[in-house]
Amino acid sequence: MRVALFVPCYVDQINPEVGVSVVRVLRRLGVDVTYPEGQTCCGQPAFNSGFFDEARSVGRRFLDVFERERFDYIVCPSGSCTTMVSHYYPFIFKDLPDERERSETLGQRVREFSDFLVNVMGVKDLGARLEGRAVFHTGCHQRRELGVLEEPRELLASVDELELVGWENEELCCGFGGTFAVKMPDVSTAMADEKIKALQKSGADTLISGDSSCLMHLKGRLRRTGHDTRVLHLAQVLDSGKAG
Amino acid sequence: MSDRAEFLGSIRHRTQAGRYRPTNAPDVAWTRKGEPRESEPIDDPPARFIEELEALGGHGRCVGSLDEARECVLELAREREAKLLVRWDVEELDELGVDGPLGEAGVEVAVWRDLADFREVAEKAEIGLSTAEWAIAETGSLVLEHGPGKGRTVTLLPPTYVAVVPVERILRTVPEAIEKYAGGVLPANVCFHTGPSRSGDIEMSLFIGMHGPGDVHVVLVG
Amino acid sequence: METEKPARRRETEDRRNEGIASGVEGFNERARRAVNDQQLHDSIELFTHKSVAGRNAVLNALPEAPELRERAYRIKQETMANLDRYLEQMADAVEARGGNVFFATDGEDAVRYIGDLAREKGAKVITKSKSMATEEIELNRRLEEDYSDLGLEIVETDLGEWIAQLAGDTPSHIVGPILHMNRKRITEVLSRTAGEELPPDVEALGSFARRRLREKFVTADIGITGANFGVAETGTVATITNEGNARLVTSVPPVHVVVMGIEKLVPRFTDLSVFVRLLARSGTGQKLTVYTNFITGPRGEGELDGAEEFHLILMDNGRSKLLGTEFEEALYCIRCGACLNVCPVYRQTGGHAYGSTYSGPIGAVITPLLKGQGEAKDLPHASSLCGACWEACPVGIPLHDLLLKLRNQQVEEGLAGKAQEIAFKGFESTMKRPVLYRISSRAGRLAQKPLKKDRPLPGPLGAWTGSRDLPPLAEKSFRELWKEGI
Ligand code: SF4
Repeated sequence: MRVALFVPCYVDQINPEVGVSVVRVLRRLGVDVTYPEGQTCCGQPAFNSGFFDEARSVGRRFLDVFERERFDYIVCPSGSCTTMVSHYYPFIFKDLPDERERSETLGQRVREFSDFLVNVMGVKDLGARLEGRAVFHTGCHQRRELGVLEEPRELLASVDELELVGWENEELCCGFGGTFAVKMPDVSTAMADEKIKALQKSGADTLISGDSSCLMHLKGRLRRTGHDTRVLHLAQVLDSGKAG
Repeated sequence: MSDRAEFLGSIRHRTQAGRYRPTNAPDVAWTRKGEPRESEPIDDPPARFIEELEALGGHGRCVGSLDEARECVLELAREREAKLLVRWDVEELDELGVDGPLGEAGVEVAVWRDLADFREVAEKAEIGLSTAEWAIAETGSLVLEHGPGKGRTVTLLPPTYVAVVPVERILRTVPEAIEKYAGGVLPANVCFHTGPSRSGDIEMSLFIGMHGPGDVHVVLVG
Repeated sequence: METEKPARRRETEDRRNEGIASGVEGFNERARRAVNDQQLHDSIELFTHKSVAGRNAVLNALPEAPELRERAYRIKQETMANLDRYLEQMADAVEARGGNVFFATDGEDAVRYIGDLAREKGAKVITKSKSMATEEIELNRRLEEDYSDLGLEIVETDLGEWIAQLAGDTPSHIVGPILHMNRKRITEVLSRTAGEELPPDVEALGSFARRRLREKFVTADIGITGANFGVAETGTVATITNEGNARLVTSVPPVHVVVMGIEKLVPRFTDLSVFVRLLARSGTGQKLTVYTNFITGPRGEGELDGAEEFHLILMDNGRSKLLGTEFEEALYCIRCGACLNVCPVYRQTGGHAYGSTYSGPIGAVITPLLKGQGEAKDLPHASSLCGACWEACPVGIPLHDLLLKLRNQQVEEGLAGKAQEIAFKGFESTMKRPVLYRISSRAGRLAQKPLKKDRPLPGPLGAWTGSRDLPPLAEKSFRELWKEGI
C-alpha cells in the first residue's frame, strides 16, 4: 500500500505534530508513506471567498503534484481539505473538461484519515491508550459532504481508558468556516461559545476532532475564555500511549 | 405590465436559452443505508384515525349506528349548552335526523340553504356540523369538499365543530386522498382539515382554537 | 506615548474595516448587536430547538422521506424548465373557472392592481393571511401610501404577523414571524391595542386576538393571501395554515386576491402529495398542517360562502432572471423555514440581522439574487458554509453551494474589494510556488516573535485575536520535520 500524504497548509505550519502522528500511525500499519514535497495548499481559502480563478490555479498545481507519481491513496488528516479536492475540485473545474476529469479521478483516491483507516485498511483498533473523558467534533465537510460519521467514533472506542461522551447539538458548526472566522468575527465567536457551552455541560476534559482548523478555532476561544480543556487531533489520540 | 404574451415570452426565452445543469442534485444526504424505504401499512384505519386526531387535541369516536351518532351530536350540544347549530344541507345529515331531537332539546338548527346573510348564522352558531368526503387515517384529517349546501364557514366560524363520517370513507394515507383528485376538476374549495385550529406564535406555546374551531369532534359511523 | 494610543487604535479599527472584511459590515454590525442580546438569544433558541426536534422526529418516522425529497427536486426542476407553459396552463385553468389572472412583472404592478381593485370595490377593510410575497413587495405600506385616499384598513390575520404589524415590526422568520419577541413584549403590544392591561398568559392573549381578528374577518371587503403552491393543471391555489386564517380570509370576504410568486407552481395536483407532506414536516414538525386548503376559482353556483371574485396575481419580481442559470435552484424553495432553524449563524443572529424580508440561508441566497448583489453584498458571506441548510432542505437546494457561487459572482463583477483581490492574488502566487510558500512561512515565524498578545493586530488577524487566541506558527513545519526524518 503506497500512500501520499496530503498535509493541509495550516497543519504544516501550525500543527506539524498532527502530520507526524499520521505518519507514525500509518507506518505502524505497514503503509508505505510518502510526502510529495511540492505541495502547498488545496486552495480552499480562495475558493471559500469566491476567488475561483485563484483557487483553480492553486488546484491545478495540486493536481500536478499528486499526479506526478502513482499512489494507491492520498490521505489527509482533514475532512475539510479532503472535501475541497474530492468534491469541490470537480465543482470549480466543471466547465473545464480536462481538469474536471483529472480532479474526478484524483478525487476518488483522496481519503480522510479515519475513513482510510476504517474503510480501506479495515482497522478499528490501533492499540492506543489515552486517559480521559472526551467529546468528538465532526467537521462539517466530513459530516455532510463526506458522510464519515461513524469511523472516528469506532476508532476512538478502541482507545484504552478513553471515555467518549455525547454533547448537545453536536451537529452544529464550530464557527470557523475559513475566512468566515475573520469576516464575521462576532458571529463566529458566538458559535464557538455555543460549542464550548455544550462541551462544559458534557463534563469532558478533552476535545478531539479530525479537523485541525476547527480545533484551532475552538482552542483559541477556549484559551481566551480561560479554559484549559485538552485539545487533540484524532491522529494524535491514535498515536498516543505507544512507545515513541 | 399586464401583457400576458410578453410576460410569458420573456420567460420562455429564459427557459430555453441554454439550460444550466446543476452539479449537485439531491443525493444521499437523507438516505441512510439499509433503512426501510416505505412506511408501515396501516392495518386498522379507524383506530389510527382516532389515535391521530386525539394526539392533536381533537376527539374521535367510532359508533355502530346512526342512532348512536345522533346521540353523540345531541350530547355534545347539551354539554356545550348550544342555542344554535348550523349544519350542511346534505342527505347524510338529513338521514342522521338530528334536527328534530335538537329542536326538542331547545337547540335551533340552521340548515345551510337560502340564508340571507351566512355570516350572521355561522358566527352565532356554537356548533357547526358537517360530514366529510373522506377521512385520512395516517393524519387524522377530514377531506372537506365544499359546494352548494356545504358551506366552508360551517366548519370554521363556530367554536365547536363536529363531523359525522361513514367509516368506509376512511382512506389510509394523504397521497391516497390526493389521488382522488388526480387529473380531474376540483370543487371550488377542498380542505384537508387536521385537528383543532392552533397557533404557536407566542413563545411556541400552543394556543388551541386560534381562528377556527378549537373543539373538534369526529364521529365515525360504521 | 499616552496620547498616541487612541489614534493608533482608531487606525487599527479602520484597517480592520477595510481589510478582508470589506463589504460585509451591514450584516456584521446588525449581527454584533444581535449576539449581545441575551433575550433575543433565548427566544431564538427556544424556537429553533423545538422546531428542529419536531422536524427530526416526524421526518425520521417517514422512511420514504429521501425519495420524496428527490421527487420534490425533480418536480421543481421540470417546472422551471417549462415555466412559461405551466404558467399559461395555470392562467387558462383559472380563467376557465371564472377567475381573473394578472401577470405582474414587479411589486409595483401587483400593488397597482390591488389598489385599483380596492378602489373599484369601494373596499375599506382588507384582511390578509401571512404571505412572504406581499412582505417582499411591502404591499401594506405601499397600499397605504399610494392609495391613502381610500383610507384602507389592512389587517394581518396570522397571530404573529398581526402582532408584528401592531408593533411596527417586521417578521424575523418565514414560519415564526415574531419568534424574536418574548411574552412580555407581546403582552405589552396587545395590551396597548386592547386599551387595558392583559395578563401575560397565552390563553388570555390568544383569546383577545381571536376576538379582535374575528371582527375583521367578518367585515372584510377583500381578502389577500399568498400561495404555498399553485397547480398548473387545475388552476388550484394551496394556502396552508394552522390557525385557519387563510381559510377565513378566502371564505368570508366577497373578493379574494392571491399574490403568488411564479416559482410556486407545480404541474399536477398529485404533485402536492409530495410537497404538502414535506412542507408540514420540515416547517412545523407536523404530518399535515391543520388547514391544508385548496382553492380553485371563485365560489361555484349555489354556494353561500367563499369569494365571489377570484384574482390571481402571478408575480415575477426578479425571479425569472434566475431561470436556466446556475442559481435556478433557489427558485425551488417552498419556504418551510427549516434551513433557518438549523443554521448556526441564524441561531446566533436571528432574522433581522439579515436586513431583508427573507433571512437565514435562503434569505442570504435569494435576496442578492432578487435585489441585485449591490444591495446585499454582505449576505452571501453570512455563512460558515457548514451545509446544515442543504442537509435540512426538503427540496435539496444546495444552499451553501449557491452562496459560494454568489461570492464568486461578486469577485467576477469586481464587488469583492481591492483588499481581498490583492490578498488572494498574493495567496495564489505564494501557493503556486513552493519556494515562495517556504520563504513566507519562515518570514511569518520571524515576524511573530516580537508580536505581543495584547496589541491589536491589523487586518484579518485582528479580527481573529479580538476574541480568540492565535496559535503561534510551529518552530519547524511538517515539511522540515519530514526532511529530518520522522
Ligand atoms: S431553502 Fe429549503 S429549507 Fe430553506 S426555506 Fe426553502 S425549502 Fe425550506
